[in-house]
Amino acid sequence: MTDWSARGAPHCRGGDTHRNMLGAWIAASAMVAFCGVVMFGPHALTTLIVAILTAVAADMAVAFALRRPVIGGASHACLIGLLLGLMLPATVPWYVPMFGSLVAIVLAKGLFGGLGHYTWQPAVVGRVVVQFLFTGHLSLTSALAMSPVLAPDHILAGDIDIDHAQPITMATYRGWFEVDGPARADAWLMERPVQALRRFAEGKIPPDGDQVYEPLLRDALPPWRDTLLGMVPGGIGESCTIALIVAGLFLIYRGYLRWQLPVTMLAAAALAAAILPVESGEQAGGYRWLPVLAVEQGRAVGLAYVMYHLTAGQLMLGAFLVAGDMISTPMRARGQIIFAAGIGVATVFMRLYGTLAGECYWSILIMNWLVSTIDRRTKRPVLGMAA
Amino acid sequence: MSMWRNILGPRQKLDGGLFLPDHKSITARRPIEEMEIDGPLHVPLQIRRDLPATARVEPDDCVLGGELLAHADGSDSVSVSAPTSGKIVALERVWTAADGFLPGAVLEPDGRDEWVQPRQRWESESFVWQLADCGVMCTTPRGPGHALIRAAAAASVTDLIVNAMETEPYLTADLRSLVEEPGRLIDATCEIAGALGARRVLFVLPFRHRRVVARMEAEARGRFVEVVPLANRYPQCDPIVLVKTLLDREVVPGGSVLDVGAVVVPLAMVRATGDAVLGGRPVTQALMTVAGDAVDHAGTYRVPVGTPMRRIAERAGLIGPVARAISGGPLMGVPLGRDDAVVTADTTALLLFSDGGPRPNPVPCIRCGWCVEDCPVGLDPSELMHLEAEHECDPIDLARLRVCVDCGLCSYVCPAQLPLAASIKRARSRFEKTRRHATAAFE
Repeated sequence: MTDWSARGAPHCRGGDTHRNMLGAWIAASAMVAFCGVVMFGPHALTTLIVAILTAVAADMAVAFALRRPVIGGASHACLIGLLLGLMLPATVPWYVPMFGSLVAIVLAKGLFGGLGHYTWQPAVVGRVVVQFLFTGHLSLTSALAMSPVLAPDHILAGDIDIDHAQPITMATYRGWFEVDGPARADAWLMERPVQALRRFAEGKIPPDGDQVYEPLLRDALPPWRDTLLGMVPGGIGESCTIALIVAGLFLIYRGYLRWQLPVTMLAAAALAAAILPVESGEQAGGYRWLPVLAVEQGRAVGLAYVMYHLTAGQLMLGAFLVAGDMISTPMRARGQIIFAAGIGVATVFMRLYGTLAGECYWSILIMNWLVSTIDRRTKRPVLGMAA
Repeated sequence: MSMWRNILGPRQKLDGGLFLPDHKSITARRPIEEMEIDGPLHVPLQIRRDLPATARVEPDDCVLGGELLAHADGSDSVSVSAPTSGKIVALERVWTAADGFLPGAVLEPDGRDEWVQPRQRWESESFVWQLADCGVMCTTPRGPGHALIRAAAAASVTDLIVNAMETEPYLTADLRSLVEEPGRLIDATCEIAGALGARRVLFVLPFRHRRVVARMEAEARGRFVEVVPLANRYPQCDPIVLVKTLLDREVVPGGSVLDVGAVVVPLAMVRATGDAVLGGRPVTQALMTVAGDAVDHAGTYRVPVGTPMRRIAERAGLIGPVARAISGGPLMGVPLGRDDAVVTADTTALLLFSDGGPRPNPVPCIRCGWCVEDCPVGLDPSELMHLEAEHECDPIDLARLRVCVDCGLCSYVCPAQLPLAASIKRARSRFEKTRRHATAAFE
């Protein structure tokens, strides 16, 4: 008599494991990181590598100190480090990503019980903490209102040092591809699109005659094509919208990201930008309602304003790579719709009326905190146990 | 089948469920074959451990095919007949996959395969009696067929559902019999419906086999049998899920579909009923799929009851060493720890695999929510899993545990490889036991 091995049902598995998932997320983030490195040069690469290495080392150290096995190998720590690096600008000194990774892994992941137990997405926590600790490098105000992006002849290898960058006059800037002649410096210094939108919402961009939106779109923002392709200053992974969409579609195709989450998040943000009033410059305290309806000289400037809100930075990264982290999102698609709608609205709200930088990341943390409530409210009805 | 249904697809009301890779491409195309077995048959004389039957034969008796081997004791038991002619060598225990050891008889076939005359159908004999006499068995819920029909008649059900949804991977027995004997199945369905006095008869089969659906619709025309094709999402074969999809009636936790006025009859039982009532032949064979990556000639076979699984594996041919064997489908089947298990009347498949199977390496839940979205009854398995370690469980949680239909889909999809289905099953059996003890002590 031969013995055949006996284990309980089911006798087969779907085959998707947490390792495949983390691998796919890392691959998607790495693609975005590659685009960031092309646009921001070797400094971006250093930032990403420091973030990843610190995260992996910190994860090993925490596992050793708490005598816990490292689940999924180094891949989860690697993903967190990579996401953190993508949320930081390339101009930060090396200790900023290092400290951010330490905070993310030790505080936000390790002390909350490791993989599967944390409430707040660790990479976002790390980003938000370094924003407080190193205000000089990350704040959008004062000296850092302008940030650099590499000039066309200098991509991939140029030095992105903020002190040697060549300031750009936005009013005459026709776009990244349109500048004639070689640049004098490796990098150009210009205002971040998010910052321009914030100034506009505060009424600090004066109207040109009877045109309110035209000065913003014409004089303060780069062409929309640049924000799509990523030739605008900002975080390493925030700017290249096309790469982020492709990465998100890859994750959706693999089934690791529900399409409802990014779609709802972007739709909610667009809706909020379309209806939330902005302060107009002409009369103090006066608000313009429903900016989406604005038409100036026969152009639908309101629609352009809303589209800039989506592609200006942060939102795309948040929607496609950061907010979809399974452990800190609701379980069901229905819950994720509520979660993502909250993030989208809160992001635009904070952008228009708040003072904190990194508004999308703050919104993600706020909604992470509501996940258990959302989960409780979106339970499925059990068959035969209704009412 | 109308054009619109071809375009729009079947109706799908099931929340959850999953289209599994079905691995049926080989066996679904091969016709049913008789598997001829030499060597002794170890025929179990009971169909379940709690249903006694008295042996009618002694060692050294010679029997003909179809002759009674054991007679039913009590109203729920069924009789067992000889699968072929031969000599009884011994009366000894046999090992079955579902029930462990059962009393049995070892029959040495004489090779002539002589049969008794087909039983005549007497008007005085009731339908239920004929089923019991011929040994008809029901696969889900596992038990005697006549007891199911009797309970359904007592509950005065209005809807009869014939379940040909074979949504588990590899299984093709129902599909092949739909292809090869469609008229017979409709006839047998009408017999059952007549005995029950059902008001509505639904014949459920997978939508994806469109030519089979068209053929069954042609057979059923004018017979008061409604052919309903459904999407073959996986646990659609479960009676409780089926009743929810078709009739939108919900069974209370721990209840059966009879409570909501429906009876779900698996196709295997319809087949056996057709043989018994229309052909007068007792159930002595199982129609089963032999498949898996270790099998050389996979296919659907008619195998005499009492054949050891080892001999089936030898007859079908093995490509390599077998690492594990499963009786039934890969999601709900019973693992065969030993190769001397025998075929019983309700065996649907023998799957032989050369790999050791999934070796789960569980990590903490990563809250992907796949088990919640895919659960056919709306449970949250990741939450119920913790009950296994608890000492007590409140009535709501116990009710949730009893809603589970044991489809195993949560374990199947879990990327953290948690043993969700197994721990729910264990927790349910433990808490039901303690509750029964508590009730007994109270009384």
